[in-house]
Amino acid sequence: MAGRLMLVVKDLHKIYDDGTHAVKGLSFSLKQGEIYGLIGPNGAGKSTTLRMIATLLKPTKGMINLNGIDVVKEPFKARRMIGYLPEEAEVYTRLTGREHLLFYAKLYGVENIENTVKYGAEISGLGDKLDRKAGEYSKGMKRRLLLALVLMRSPQLAILDEPTSGLDVYASVRVRRIIKEYVARTEHSVILSSHNMLEVEYLCDRVSFIINGKIITTGSPSELKARYNALNLEEAFVKAVEEHGET
Amino acid sequence: MSFTSDLRVLLWKELLDLYRDRRTLFTSILLPLISLPLIGFMGIALVEQQPVLVAVVDLDDSTVRNELLNITVSSRWLVGNTTKILEKLGYNVTISHSINVVKNPDIDVALIIPRGFSRNASSLNCTARVKVLRRAGVQAAIRAESTIYSIINVFSRNISDAKLNAVIQLLGLNATIPALRNPVTARTEVVGISGQPVSRAVVLRNAFARILVLAFSFVVTPAASYVIDGIIGERERKTIELLLASPTTPQRIIYAKLVAATLLGLITALADIIGLVVYMVSVSIVSGVPFGVIIDPLLLVLHSLTAFFTILSTISIALPFITRTRGIRSASNIVSLVTIVALVFFFTGFFVDYIRLPNEILVPLYLIPFTHSILVIQGYVLGYISRALIHLAVLSIASVALLVIASKTIDTEKLLIAPL
Repeated sequence: MAGRLMLVVKDLHKIYDDGTHAVKGLSFSLKQGEIYGLIGPNGAGKSTTLRMIATLLKPTKGMINLNGIDVVKEPFKARRMIGYLPEEAEVYTRLTGREHLLFYAKLYGVENIENTVKYGAEISGLGDKLDRKAGEYSKGMKRRLLLALVLMRSPQLAILDEPTSGLDVYASVRVRRIIKEYVARTEHSVILSSHNMLEVEYLCDRVSFIINGKIITTGSPSELKARYNALNLEEAFVKAVEEHGET
Repeated sequence: MSFTSDLRVLLWKELLDLYRDRRTLFTSILLPLISLPLIGFMGIALVEQQPVLVAVVDLDDSTVRNELLNITVSSRWLVGNTTKILEKLGYNVTISHSINVVKNPDIDVALIIPRGFSRNASSLNCTARVKVLRRAGVQAAIRAESTIYSIINVFSRNISDAKLNAVIQLLGLNATIPALRNPVTARTEVVGISGQPVSRAVVLRNAFARILVLAFSFVVTPAASYVIDGIIGERERKTIELLLASPTTPQRIIYAKLVAATLLGLITALADIIGLVVYMVSVSIVSGVPFGVIIDPLLLVLHSLTAFFTILSTISIALPFITRTRGIRSASNIVSLVTIVALVFFFTGFFVDYIRLPNEILVPLYLIPFTHSILVIQGYVLGYISRALIHLAVLSIASVALLVIASKTIDTEKLLIAPL
């Protein structure tokens, strides 16, 4: 399944203007067709890391290479290969779901707009509701639409920040299914962040625990459970944090 | 994608969103559409409706005949004429022979005719003096006072005519009354820059142009608010991050928002013009000057173009601050500072002929784009067409330059993360 390296992150640092050192020397890599998860509490540096990979924030130091492209030096070239779903993304309430798909397909300059929108509609699973104003959608429907906006172009790297945050069980299951099917269909890569260990265990091939801007351990969910002699990923996370003396 | 393709797509989204935001559209159109006609109509209607109580106090109450001049003057005539005219104009008049009436707090204006009035007015060596008391702080009393003065002037002139006529006859002079009373007269003739007299229509058109300058105030505010909502609002509604992650630049995103805001401003300007036209139709009805003579289509085109670039420069000046604020409230406060400067200029442009200001004052003011907005309108109306066009060109270049400079300050990180 996993092939050549898709993303390489080396010694990544981010210090904000107010002096907050949010990311402290992160290094990891991601292979083609792999789903990689960053797990950590609020303020651990997950979103900052994903935003730097998505070219929205400039790293203070470090390197991000996406399939041979230096993301920091060529952000606009990188963006065409990336699909980024922010944690708290929202929809334009006065635009319909289909208009959202059309807008982003045109903005990314995709060659076959019709097919892209059709694929987006399929991913969203919104059916007839796609022609209703997005302001009328439930939270789950909005999240599916946003995920469709990100995945409809089949980006080589999908960056999903808390993809199921705030969703109920049914909506979360549908979103996870979309992500799984996307990778199976395209063999492209996904990097996601989450608080939900169950979700990470279900979705990710590899996981890194991140605390205070640093990765404390990396491995597949089963490796991590075995490494920390834990019944589940949640227990492994707690033990890893305790072992590294981080809080 | 190319700049134009990106802008077209972004603009499509902005305009679709704006088109469906009926509340914003409705209020942006309604504000200028009703405000000027409302100011005009309400002003006229309410001024007319203000109750003013005038007391005419005749302490003289006498009629005196000057046998030499063969004239008669009666204080009752002044009382009668004053009462008749004031009541015809809608004032409430009370007649009294006691000075105590002025102690009544309901009296706004009192005309006091003192003892000896008729005797003095009919004599050859005395002047009859009347006194007008006006209640301080009562706006409508000023109009009544002015009317009373007019009545007294006419009354005085009639007595003067009678006296002069009698003197001419007594002395057997070959004289005319105007030559004796007003040996020097003055007459004003309103002329254009070529020195040729201009019609009343031109005077009204100039008044219309002054209102057009004031009307810029109504178009900058909604456009600036729209830009704040488009940038800070989009951040607060959490739709901007997905947009910023796309392959377009933040500058293009902002350009599209500014163009949409400027179009909204133009719609507002159009509503503004319709409002003004409605107002001027009423002026033309009142003045008897044909409507078509007052309204100059070229002036309206100039106004629209000037409004477009005025809005663009206003929001371009505010842009670097808008993108660096925490929320809509702080952005609105900062933009208010810019729009207040604009309002000060447009308000003073209503009263001050900027085009007549000395160079040592006007040249430094050229640094402010709003000065050029005013000069376009004032220059055109006074007949300095080429000067008006030069100011329009300066305004357009300045607004585009400001936009380019402002867009250089846009930073994705600052747009995304509200400063603490």
